[in-house]
Amino acid sequence: MIGISQVLIALLGVVAGLVFGAIPGMTATMAVAVFLPLTYAYDLNTALYLLLGLYVGGISGGLIPAILINIPGTPSSITTTFDGYPMAKRGEGERALKIGIVSSFIGGIISLICLWLFTPMLSAAALKFSAVEKFLIILFALTVIAALSKGQMLRGVFAGFFGVLVSLAGMFSVNNGYRLVPSFLESKMQDGFQLLPVLIGLFAIAQIFEEAEEGMRFKIEKVKDDEMDGSKTHFSFKDFKGQGINVIRSALIGTFMGVLPGVGGSAASILSYAQAKNFSKHPELLGTGVTEGLVASETSNNGLTGGALIPLLSLGIPGDSTTAVLISAFMLQGVQVGPLFITQNPVTWNTILIALLVCNVLMFVCMFYPIKWISKIIYIPGQRLYPVIIMICLVGAYATKNGRMFDVWTLLVFGVVGYIFGKIKIPASCFLIGFILGKDLENYFIQAISAQKGSLMVFFTRPIGWVIWLMIFASIAYAIYDNNKSKKQTN
Amino acid sequence: MINVVYSSEHWIMPTIVIGILVILLAAIIITEGLARKKKGEAFFKKAGKFFIDKADFVKLFGTLVLFIAYIALVDVIGFTVTSIVFVFLFNLLYTGFSKKAVIMSVVISVVASLTISVLFGIVFNITLPSGMLSLTFTDLGITFY
Repeated sequence: MIGISQVLIALLGVVAGLVFGAIPGMTATMAVAVFLPLTYAYDLNTALYLLLGLYVGGISGGLIPAILINIPGTPSSITTTFDGYPMAKRGEGERALKIGIVSSFIGGIISLICLWLFTPMLSAAALKFSAVEKFLIILFALTVIAALSKGQMLRGVFAGFFGVLVSLAGMFSVNNGYRLVPSFLESKMQDGFQLLPVLIGLFAIAQIFEEAEEGMRFKIEKVKDDEMDGSKTHFSFKDFKGQGINVIRSALIGTFMGVLPGVGGSAASILSYAQAKNFSKHPELLGTGVTEGLVASETSNNGLTGGALIPLLSLGIPGDSTTAVLISAFMLQGVQVGPLFITQNPVTWNTILIALLVCNVLMFVCMFYPIKWISKIIYIPGQRLYPVIIMICLVGAYATKNGRMFDVWTLLVFGVVGYIFGKIKIPASCFLIGFILGKDLENYFIQAISAQKGSLMVFFTRPIGWVIWLMIFASIAYAIYDNNKSKKQTN
Repeated sequence: MINVVYSSEHWIMPTIVIGILVILLAAIIITEGLARKKKGEAFFKKAGKFFIDKADFVKLFGTLVLFIAYIALVDVIGFTVTSIVFVFLFNLLYTGFSKKAVIMSVVISVVASLTISVLFGIVFNITLPSGMLSLTFTDLGITFY
């Protein structure tokens, strides 16, 4: 299950992930998308080491530029800049980096434990689900999107349902009828748009268009040596004294936010930073370069990694865009994710846990000791990498269904769509979740009502169904409450 | 009560979803319009600027045009040669025409394209777009795309 080649491939994943995470404008999702073609060549177990390595590395790398140059490398390290950068300004750059790395590691491990404990429980519960509950749980996933699209509730739901609509384009498996497809494309779109090119388009190509519009400026000022390590205060593990509760709270917030579909890492770290401030004995110091804020931010964004895998492996619902790529990796290998996943694939399940542990350890080893050299990643000129990324994305899209140019055009079209989404403030991650779940939503809905001769009452007669309805209404109520609150704040 | 008829079953869900989208769109327009009205602005706001200030249109539309040409040509000419040409052109577009930048662009495009082509196409045996400049060595069983 684990050999030297798996560790090496995980190492490759972690380092490549770090590079993508550390370069502003490039994300963990992009890293996973770019390396996906490589996984076509490996078996599932080895591929998992690579993908999880990229994921962990990609999330962790973001702290380097956040601390050293005040630019978050990934959206989830926004709050790392609040306290990390002031520390670097004081000459404690290396100390801040090391605190961040240790926090990331602890966050990753705590979320791994949550993954290990809660996924089997959730799967067991989901096994009792009939088509009715499966339909409702997807509906719930779509309303949770709404609840967490801060101040953008309606746009979030709109994006989610728009994703559902786009996923329905193609042939319906029950009666082989085509819908939402122009007739000249019918032969190419039997099973609609492929997930992979849609995803890479939305999250990698769209990003490249945005960077191009901004002129591909990657001029990064050199970090002075005395900012890195000029102060007399050096890192020691004593820095974590008194941070125990903060660490656990932040890791759990990160994990929980990871579980909720469509919620990005930035929401997790912002929430946990806010909580650290609420509970702090000296809240006025947060933002001036204190350990507390840095720990809260970095523990929570690595907490996402395990959290986002929980709904993926137990319900088949991805927690974020990076784990959505994992779905396609599983599908390529013919493995179905859902409630039966653990019982049917116990070996793969163990591999995921071990791989995630190995990747977190590798991340720590690769970053903690050679941090002075690793931090030079931020000087890699992005404008030199993007052309190569475009080429690899083309390879990945082309190979999705064993070589079709149609999938490459899909890649470009969704790149443009993602770019336009960014302009008109439609959250692409919500669209993606809707797109992934759309076909299941339809199948379960048709199954449920066909059994009852079309009566919609079937959705209200089962007790587990009531519980999910309750959750749906609770999330809508929270969404409206939170939406009004954050609108007032902006006015 | 929904009438499930086999022949039109495939339109049930799309119709519902389109209905929901229309309602949501109306809700978005009305709530955002009312919010503006409350602030003393017009119900409909003038369309804001689509592009950012000082947008780099050459790089933006250059990327789009190059991308379209790249896809259109890659399965006519073949993966390796097309990629060398277009990775080079993307590099020029993003980093300019100074002598140093051009040399660097040549190196990157040749090395990266050949590496990907050999690694994926030959070592991992993944299908890449092939065209008139792709070479197949039947006795070796390999294709250089």
